[in-house]
Formats: sequence, C-alpha cells, structure tokens
Amino acid sequence: MAAALDVQGVTKRYGAFTAVNDLSFELEAGKILGFLGPNGAGKTTTVRMILGLIAPTAGRVQVLGEDDPARVRNRIGFLPEERGLYRRMSPVKAMAFLASLKGLSTAEGGRRGRDLLVRYGLAEFADKPIKSLSKGMAQKVQVLSTLAHNPELVILDEPFSGLDPANQQALEDLIREIAAGGATVIFSTHVMQHAERLCDQVLLMARGKKVFDGTVEAARSAAPRTLLLEGEFAADQLSDLPGVAELTAEPMPAGGLRVSAALNRGAPAQEALREAFAKGLDIRRFELREPQLHDAFLVLTGGGAE
Amino acid sequence: MIRLLRIARREYLAYVRTPGFWLSLLLLPVGLSTIVIAPMALNHSTPVPRVAVIDFTGEQLQAAVARALAPAPGARAQAVLVADPQPAYADPADAQRRIQPYLRGQKVLPDGEPLEAAAIVHPSGDTVAVDFWSRNIGASNLEGLINRAMERQVRADRLKSLGIDPAALDQVENMALDVSDFSPKAAAGRVEITDQLPAIAGLAMGMLLWMVVLTGAGMLLNSVMEEKTSRIIEVLLSSASVPEIMGGKILGVACVTGTILLFWISIALGVAAIRSPPLAGELAHVFLDHGRWAYFALYFAGGYLMFATLYVTIGAFCETAREAQTLLGPMMIIMSVPPIFMSQSIGHPDAPLLKTLTWIPLFTPFMMAARSAADPPLWEILATAALMASVTALELWVAVPAFKAGALATGRFDIRLLFRSVSRHAGP
Repeated sequence: MAAALDVQGVTKRYGAFTAVNDLSFELEAGKILGFLGPNGAGKTTTVRMILGLIAPTAGRVQVLGEDDPARVRNRIGFLPEERGLYRRMSPVKAMAFLASLKGLSTAEGGRRGRDLLVRYGLAEFADKPIKSLSKGMAQKVQVLSTLAHNPELVILDEPFSGLDPANQQALEDLIREIAAGGATVIFSTHVMQHAERLCDQVLLMARGKKVFDGTVEAARSAAPRTLLLEGEFAADQLSDLPGVAELTAEPMPAGGLRVSAALNRGAPAQEALREAFAKGLDIRRFELREPQLHDAFLVLTGGGAE
Repeated sequence: MIRLLRIARREYLAYVRTPGFWLSLLLLPVGLSTIVIAPMALNHSTPVPRVAVIDFTGEQLQAAVARALAPAPGARAQAVLVADPQPAYADPADAQRRIQPYLRGQKVLPDGEPLEAAAIVHPSGDTVAVDFWSRNIGASNLEGLINRAMERQVRADRLKSLGIDPAALDQVENMALDVSDFSPKAAAGRVEITDQLPAIAGLAMGMLLWMVVLTGAGMLLNSVMEEKTSRIIEVLLSSASVPEIMGGKILGVACVTGTILLFWISIALGVAAIRSPPLAGELAHVFLDHGRWAYFALYFAGGYLMFATLYVTIGAFCETAREAQTLLGPMMIIMSVPPIFMSQSIGHPDAPLLKTLTWIPLFTPFMMAARSAADPPLWEILATAALMASVTALELWVAVPAFKAGALATGRFDIRLLFRSVSRHAGP
C-alpha cells in the first residue's frame, strides 16, 4: 500500500538547539500511528513540519504523495494541542467555517458538520454557543471539526489531554472509526496506554531523536518480561536463578520482600520459578508480567524523562 | 482568494453579532441626539422661573424687564416677571428681609409657584445699585438678562435728561464695518462659508481615518490574540496561507468599521439634508468635486492597510492584553501626534511643517487627508501613495514570516523571535 506519509532525514534546528534530529519513518495509508514521547521530545515540531507550518532545516517530508504539504491542505484534518474553538459560534457554524477553508462550500460544511454531531450524540447542542457546552462535549466538537471535510490524513496533537476516562474511551472509539473509514491517523501522546490500545504503528521519540519505529508488539519485545516474587527471603537468594538478569527489591508494609526479577530475552520464567521453589524459599505470591509499552519506552530511551 | 473572503466573512459576522458593534453603530446618533435633545428636554421639563423686581429708583425698571423677558412668538419664555409679593417696603434692607422666605421656599407666590429670583434696585450715588437674590447660585444667565434690560433703561433715561436721543446713540454704537474676505482660492473671489467646507471636510476625513485606525487596531489585535490563545490560529495556518489569514482579518475588520462609518455618514447627511438642504448639497459637492472622493479613498485604504498589517502582526506575538499594551505603548504615542497637527491644516494647509510631516509614512494618510483643501499637486499625491505602498509592502514582507513565527510561538513576547523569523525570511 502507498505511504500516506514519508519522512526522510528530517532535522529541525532553532539556533543551537536541535528540536528534531535526523528523523525518518513511513506510514501506510489507512493505519494509525502513535507519536510517543515525553514533553519536549519533538513531537509537536514534527507534526508542524508534516503540516507545512514550519520548514525542516534538513530532510524531506512527503505528505499524501506531495513534497509540499500546503498542496494537500484540503486533504488533511488537524487538531492542535490545547485546542479551542470560537466560543461564541455554534458547533455547526464553527465546523462549517473550518470545512469551508478546506474546499467545501459553507453550506456543505454545515450539512456534514450537523451529520457528524447527530452521529456522535451532540445534535441538541448543534446550534448552541460552544461556550455553553461542557469541556468534554466541546473537545468532542473540536475533534469532529477536523473531520467534516472527510480528510485522508488526520493529525491529532495530544487529543486525550484534559479528557475524563469516559471521554477518552469515546475518543478512542472515534479514532478507530476514522481509520476504519479509510483515513490515516496520526496522534501524539505521552500516555502509552492509548497508543497500546489503538496503534498499528508507534514512533517513540526522546530528545528530538527517534528511538523506536514499529508495531506495539515489537516495541514491547524490547523490554524484558518480569517475574514478580513476594515472600520471606533475602534478595541475594534469587540472584542466581536461571534467566534472571536484574533484581529490584523493596520491603512490603506487612513484612517480607517484593522482588522484581527482569528476565533475559527468551528466558523461560518456569525455570527460574522451579529453581526458587527447589531452594525451599518461602514464596507466598508470584506473577509473570508481560512488558508494557511504558516499560519498552523506558528501556529504549534509557530512562525516558527529559 | 476564496479562503481570504471566507475568513473575512467570519470575522465580519463575529463582530456584527456582538453587542459592542451595535453600541458603536448607535453611538453617534444617540450621542448627537443627546447633545441636541437633552438641553431642550431639560428646558421643557423645568418650570418657567418667576422673578420679581423691587424698584426703589422710580425709573419704571419693571416695565423694561417685562419687555426683555417677553418671549418671541411661539417661543418659550425664559422667565416671568411677577408682581411684588410683599409691596410697600420701608427700604432695600426691609425688602431683602421680607423676600427671604420666598427664596428659601418657605412661602410661595399666589399662583402656587416658587419665586426664583428677586432684583432689589435702589439708588446708589449717581448710579443705580442692583442686589440680585436668587435661589440658585448659578443662575447667571437670568441675572445677566435682567441686569442688561435695566441698564439699557437707566442709560436711556440718563441720555434723555442730557438731551441726547437714545435711539441715535444706539444706531451709532451698533454701527460696524462691512468686512468681506477675498481669496483667489475662493470660488467667486469673495470667501463664503462654502469655500471653507473643503478644509473642514479634509480635517473631518483625517480625524475619521485616525478613529478608524484606532478602532480597527483594537479589533484586529483582539481577534488575533483570541485565536492565538485558543490555538485556533494553528488550525487556520494548517488550512490557509498567512497572507490569506492576514488579508481575511484585515478585510473583515475593514468591513466592520466601514459599516459603522457608512451608517454614521448616512445619518449625518440625512440630518443635514433635513435641517439644511443647501449645506447637504455643498457637502456632496465638496466630495464629488476634483475627484476628492477618490483622493480620500486612496488615503483611507492605504492608511488602513498600513496600520492594520502592523497591528495584526503585533497581535500574533501577544497572548495577553498586558503584552499587547506593552507593545502598543510606543505606537499610541506616535498616533497621538497627527490630531495635533491635523487641526492646524484648516488655517495653514501648506505650512512647511505640515508638508514635512506628510512625508513621515506613519503620518502620511492623516496629513494628506487633512491637507486636501490645499489641492496638493498630482506628483505629491502619487509620491505619497507610492510611499504608503512601499511601507505596506515592506511591512508585509516582514509581517508574513513574523505572523507565522508569533502565532506558533508560546509564552511571552520575545523580540529575538521576531528578528530571527525576519532574518530567515531574508536569508538565501
């Protein structure tokens, strides 16, 4: 399938500061890409380069087959971070206006906007001023306003920030529907769980550099599986268990230790567990934990925090 | 272009739907009506004051005052002379004491109305003294009217006693020279009020442009700041080019101020046409004569575009009203200069200082509008138009990258960001 987005060797510098450093990745049409990284990782700068709002210092960005993103403006939907809308306008009028800038007539934009509002349960608020809506509803309107012109590429910058769990779930469903409709979706976030549930592809960034590009499963596999053991024993009694790479111990409030034993790649947990019981250790609880994207991120970024 | 027009339309409708727009629209008619109607209403709602003249001179001064207070046919009397409420006073001091209860409101006249003032007139050496007592300390108009009437009467009596005809003396005193103003610039040689209309119209247009620039600046600043604060500006930037966004905003606000101006001018012309049709005709003639409407349109459009571009760019760098005020402070100081010198243009439109100020780009549109009555030569019009166009082009060259840099920036205004964006734009 053709690439909806092709970023090759892109660097963005502001004076001596390098915001994005030699970034390359591709995204197939119709896929969902999670753009992950802590604050200051370069996510927003990259999004702005994809949109053509700022030019890269070096490298090439090809969007929907065009080297100049300005030429495909009408085929892109964009929701900025800390987004807002015209507070005195109604959702329908705001959506009609934004769609009219994307090549639709104002009337057609209004009609499609109203259809979207009806479909997502906001029909009764369609003609009320946006300032009268709750925060969750207003944010839903803002996301929908990026869709009225049926974009082929939807870019959502931190779309989940500020939403309560119910609205986060609703937004996840909406993103799945957008992709199911054939559009390519890119969203940036620093909350790994959303990416884990939604993405076909994740791009991890830290300090302006790409640290991982691939599927969620591939990212997870970068982090070790962990064997969790609780009981009355000393930590050094576990250090020679087969397949254990690293131990982290902490005392429990009711007494005893909780030890996280990171396993070597491919090492079976059963052998370590069998050896622990064979030693006659007082193990009261054990659990094998599969790595999460968060664990992968920490491993891949060497700590991750900026 | 279609995006520019759509942004302009949204901008226009956004302002037209605010109460502030309608207040601005009604400001002039309501203000004018208040100035004209309020004093009349106040006058009509106040009862005609009652005054008394207590005359110890025997010079029939009451009759003189009654004649002076008699209203013109159909007009409202300024005051009514009433009969002395307490006749047969022993002396002025007695009159003063006995009239006090009426002036303090403790007693009223036989018709139930209060006594507003009393003039106690008595001989004082060779002249006549007037002790004017009034309920209202500020009733100087009434006092002046009564005193002048009595003064005329006393002078006439004195002249008669000296064998001089008072009417003859009045005639001599009222004689004035028949002065006529002539100028080669006047239409018929003799300077009429209509010959001064172009200068007055020029000053009015200059002041109007100055007001439009100030009003439009506030609107543009607020509009861009609101969109930047809410990040809508990023959505706009991802949908339209910077010139389309800036142009749309400038055009939208121009239409808002244009609507207000058109309404105000229509009201003013309508009132002039009703109250003084010849004046309305002369005004229309002033604007149509010598293509003056095109002259004003040129400086209105050029001046507005020059300042609007500047304000839109400033707005892109501001997130709070305080930041905007800091940046606008120097601009406001500069903007306070044109009105001072524009007012001088009525008498001296060709004064060297005014001509010099014309060539300072930020003053050009105001000074040229105000100096229109001097009929500046064509080369001066073309050169100043080129100057405005050059400055606006330079502004746009700076403003396009600066607007984008400012709109995408977060945090406080940083002058280095402005220079960086411009230098990148200027670079290879």
